[in-house]
Amino acid sequence: MRIDYKLEDKFDFGLFIPSMVLIFIGLLAIYSATFSHPAAAGNFQKQLIWAIAALSIFFITFSLPTNSFRFAASPMYLFSILLLVGVLVIGRKVSGAKSWFDLGPFGFQPSEIAKIGTILALSAFLSRRNANIESFLDIIVALIIGFIPVGLILLEPDLGTSIVFVGMILTIIFWKGISLFSLFVVLSPGFVAIAALFGSFYFITSMVLVVVTLFLFKKDIFFSGSIFALNLGAGFFTDYVYSVLSPHQQKRIQSFIDPMADPLGSGYNAIQAKVAIGSGGLFGKGFMHGNQTQLQFIPEQWTDFIYCVVGEEFGFIGSIIVVGLFLFLFIRLLKIASAAKDEFLSLVLIGILSVYFIHFLINIGMTVGILPVIGIPLPFVSYGGSSLLVNFFMLGIAANIYRTRKNYA
Amino acid sequence: MSESGFASTSRRTILSFILISTFAVISFRLFQMQILQQESYEEKSADNSIKAIEQMPLRGVFFDRNMKVVVSNIPAYTLRITSAYYNRSLNKILETVIDADSGFIDKILYNNRIYSKYIPIRIKRGIDFKVVSWLEENSEHLNGVDYIVEMQRGYPSGIMGSHMFGYTKEVSPQQLMKEKEYYKPGDYVGHNGIEKTYEEYLRGIKGYNYILVDSKRKEIGKYNDGTGDVASIKGNDLLLSIDADVQRIAEEELKGKSGGVVAIEPRTGEILALVSAPEYDLTQFAYTTSKDFLNQLYTDPTKPLFNRATMSVKPPGSTFKLMAAIAALDMGIITTETTIYCGGGFTFGRFFKCHGGPHGSLNVIHAIEKSCNTFFYNLIYRIGLDKWQEYAKKFSFAGKTGIDIGEEVAGLIPNSKYYEKIYGENWPRSIMASLGIGQGEVSVTPLQLAIYVSLIANNGRTFTPHIVKGYLDNNTRQLIPFQFKEINLGIKQEAFDIVKQGMYLVVNGAGTATWIKSKDIEIAGKTGTAQNPHGKDHAVFVGFAPFDNPQIAVAVVIENVGFGSTYAAPIAKKMIEAYLLKDKLKKEKKVVPELKDKIIGAVIED
Repeated sequence: MRIDYKLEDKFDFGLFIPSMVLIFIGLLAIYSATFSHPAAAGNFQKQLIWAIAALSIFFITFSLPTNSFRFAASPMYLFSILLLVGVLVIGRKVSGAKSWFDLGPFGFQPSEIAKIGTILALSAFLSRRNANIESFLDIIVALIIGFIPVGLILLEPDLGTSIVFVGMILTIIFWKGISLFSLFVVLSPGFVAIAALFGSFYFITSMVLVVVTLFLFKKDIFFSGSIFALNLGAGFFTDYVYSVLSPHQQKRIQSFIDPMADPLGSGYNAIQAKVAIGSGGLFGKGFMHGNQTQLQFIPEQWTDFIYCVVGEEFGFIGSIIVVGLFLFLFIRLLKIASAAKDEFLSLVLIGILSVYFIHFLINIGMTVGILPVIGIPLPFVSYGGSSLLVNFFMLGIAANIYRTRKNYA
Repeated sequence: MSESGFASTSRRTILSFILISTFAVISFRLFQMQILQQESYEEKSADNSIKAIEQMPLRGVFFDRNMKVVVSNIPAYTLRITSAYYNRSLNKILETVIDADSGFIDKILYNNRIYSKYIPIRIKRGIDFKVVSWLEENSEHLNGVDYIVEMQRGYPSGIMGSHMFGYTKEVSPQQLMKEKEYYKPGDYVGHNGIEKTYEEYLRGIKGYNYILVDSKRKEIGKYNDGTGDVASIKGNDLLLSIDADVQRIAEEELKGKSGGVVAIEPRTGEILALVSAPEYDLTQFAYTTSKDFLNQLYTDPTKPLFNRATMSVKPPGSTFKLMAAIAALDMGIITTETTIYCGGGFTFGRFFKCHGGPHGSLNVIHAIEKSCNTFFYNLIYRIGLDKWQEYAKKFSFAGKTGIDIGEEVAGLIPNSKYYEKIYGENWPRSIMASLGIGQGEVSVTPLQLAIYVSLIANNGRTFTPHIVKGYLDNNTRQLIPFQFKEINLGIKQEAFDIVKQGMYLVVNGAGTATWIKSKDIEIAGKTGTAQNPHGKDHAVFVGFAPFDNPQIAVAVVIENVGFGSTYAAPIAKKMIEAYLLKDKLKKEKKVVPELKDKIIGAVIED
C-alpha cells in the first residue's frame, strides 16, 4: 500500500465543493423566497441549522470504517421497512400523503432513510460471492428487495419518491451487469404499464412490440410465454394503480399532457414556474428582485420549486451553473464508482448517483416544463431537513469510499 | 473485468451518455426559455399574471331548538392600507376619523412590515358606516386606503351564551402546521365552545377568484372573465338543543351572581340551557379584540372566562342524599317500611347535628322531604363507602361527561382507597358521615348534577349531554342529527319511584322548597347547601318537571349566598316555567290565533 500524505488523496474535494456551492445557492434562494412570506419567514434560519447538522453527518459518515456500511445493510433495510409501515399507521398527512413522522417542531420522512437502506441492502445482495444476475431467482429476489419499499411508498401515496426508487433499483441492477435480454424482462412490464396509462391503443401496440422482441431473442416457448403473461398483467395492474393514486396526483399527470387545459388548477404551478424561469433572461432580475418569487405566485416555492427562484433571480447563467455543478458531481461519482475495486461499494455509489440524478432530472424537468409536476425536492438546494440530512449522509458514504479506495485489492 | 459485465466500460459509457445528454437537453431548454423566449415570458411576468384570491366562506350559524337564530353573521367594514401606495401624512386625519390614538396606524404598519408592501394591511375592523361614507367621498385623496366588507359573529337573540358558543380567533401557528391544507395565516378558527368543537362543520369550503395582476400586484381584471372562479361554500348551520327563552331567563337570574346552571331534557340528554356566571361579552371577540378588554378579562377576580357550569367543583350538599337513597333502595338495604329515628343528630366518634330536627321516626320518602341528616348519616354506613362511590360513578360523577364543548373537569367522589392513601388503613370512619349528606371531599360540577337529576327524572336512562343536535344540510335544509351515546344505569324502577315521591314532597308537601310550588306545573326537586370553609355557603337545587312526564331537569349552583332553597330553587322554577308554559301557550295559540300577541305579552310580564 502506497502511503500518500496529501489531503486530496483522502478527501475528495470534487464531491465536497460542488455540494457546498449548491447548498449555498439554495440558502440564497430560500432566503429570497421566504423573506417576505408571513408563514415561512423562519425557513432560512431553519435550513441553516439543518445544513450545519447535515455537514456533521457528512463528516461522521466520512470517518466511519468503510466496512460498517456492509454490516449496516440488513439492519438498516429492515429498520426502513418498519418506519415505512409505521408512517402509514401513525404518520402525519401533508398535502394528501401520509409520509411524515411528527417529531416536535420538525417533521421527518422515513422514505428518505429507506433510500439508504434499500441501496445498501440491494448492493449487498447483488455483491454476494455467488450472486448471478442472470439467474432468474436472483433477479426476482433483487426486485423484491427493491419493490417492497416502493409498494409501501406508493401507499402513502408518494408517486415522486416511488419513481426515484424504481430508477435507483434499475440503475443498480444495470451496473451489476444484467444482460440485454434480462434487462428487457425487467423493463418491459414498466414500459407496458406506462403505455397502458395512455389508453388501450398504446397498450396493445406495446404488447405487440413485446411479442416481436421475444421472437427476436428466440428463447424457449414456455419462458417467452411467462414473460408475455407478466407484461399483460403489468398493463392491467396500471389501471388499478392509477385508480389508487390520489386525485391531485392523477390531475398532475393529466395536466402535464396539457397544462393550459387547467391553468388555474394543477397547471397553475407549471405555468408560473415557466414564467419565473423564462423571465429571468441571461443575467436574471437580481437577488431579491424576482417578481414571481417576491410576490409569491408559486405556493411553497422554497421546497420543490426552488429552482424557479434561481432561474428568475440569477438568470440563464445562474441556472446553468447549478446544472453544471450537478453534472460535475454526477461525473465524479460515476468515476469513483468505476474505480472502486469492491463490487458492493461500487454498487452503493451507483445507487447514490442514481438517487441524486433522478431527483435532479424530475425536479428541474418539471420546473422547465419538460416533465410533469411531481413533487420531489432538488438535492442540496430545496428547503427540507430530512432530505438534506440524507443527501449528505449519502455524500459521506461516497467520500468515505473514496478515502479508503486503495485499501481494497 | 469483462466487457459487458459488472461496471464494464460500456456500461459506464452508457451512464455517462445519459448524464451528458440530460445536461444538454436541460441547457438547451434553459437557453430556449431564458434567451430565445425571454421577452414573451417577461411580458407575462410583468403584466399578465394570474393570482388566486381566496374567498372566505360564510360561517355556519347557530339555531336554537325552536329555529331561532342565536349566533349569526353580520357584515362589518374593515379599513385597510396598502403601504406601497400610502402616504404617511394621511395618518393624522385617518386616526381622527376612526377615532384612534395618534401613532396607531404607524404601529400596525410596523407590526406588519414583514409582509409585502403590496399586500393590504387591516388597520381597523368594524369601522362605522359614517367612516365608510367618508372614505367613499374622499377616495381620490386617499391613495392606498380602502375598505372591505367582512363577516363577523353577531348574537341577535339577546342571549350571551359566552361559555357555550365560544368565539373564533386568528389561527395559531401550531394549528397552521397541523392543517396546512385548509388554513392560511390570518384565518379565523373556532377557539373554544361550540365554535371549536364543530369547526369542521362551521367553516365551509374556501372559494377562489382568479384575477390578473401586474408585477406590482395591482389588479388588472378578472382572468377569463371569472369563468374559472370557484365559489366558496357556506359552512353548515348547527341546530342547538338550547331553548333561547330558558337560556335568557337563566342568564338574567344569574346576573351579578356567580355560579353555574344547566337544564337538560331528561329523555334525550339535550341541554336546554347552560349558564356560567359571570359571563363575558362575546361581541367583543367578534373580530379583533381590544387588549384592554382581554386584560380586564384575565385579571378579573371573579374569573369570567372560567366555565363554572362544567369546571367548577363544589360539594353537592343535601342534593346528594337522593343518590344514597337510590343506592340503598336498589341494593335492597331499605324499603319504604324502613324507618330511622332522628333525635336531632347522629353520633359516630363525635356528634353530627341534624338541622331543623328532631324529626322523629321517618322513612326514606320523608327523610328526603325534610332533608333529614340523621337518616342519611346512618344510611351511608349501611351502604358502605365503596358501594356508595360505585353508585355515584354510575350517575356520571367523578368522570368527564363527554359534553360537546370540550372544557370540563371530572370532580371527585372518594372511596376507601382514597382515604387509605391519606390516613392509612385505620382512616377515621367518622368521615363517612358528612359524605352521606354530600359534604366533605365530594365535589361535583353543575353539569354533573344536571345529568344526575335527568337520570332520576327519566328512571336511569338518558344520553350523553350535548348542546348540538345536528347540522342542517345546505341544500335540503334537513337536519342531519349527530349520534350520542345512550346511558342506562340498570337500577330498579321502584328505587326511582320512591325517591321521586320524596322529591315531589320537597316542593309540594311539607319539604324544604315548598314556596316554589307552582299552580300550573308539578315541580319535584331537592335543595342543598354546600358548606364553604372560605365564606358563605353555596346554594344548590336540583329539580325536574312536570312530575308525571319530566320534560326538563335543572341543576342550579349559586356560590357564596347561603341556603339552597332561598337562592337556587327560585331560579330553577323560573327556568322550568319559561320552558313548559311556553309550550302550553304555543298549543293554545293554534286554537285561538287572534289572541297570540296578548298571551305572549302576558307571559313576558309574568
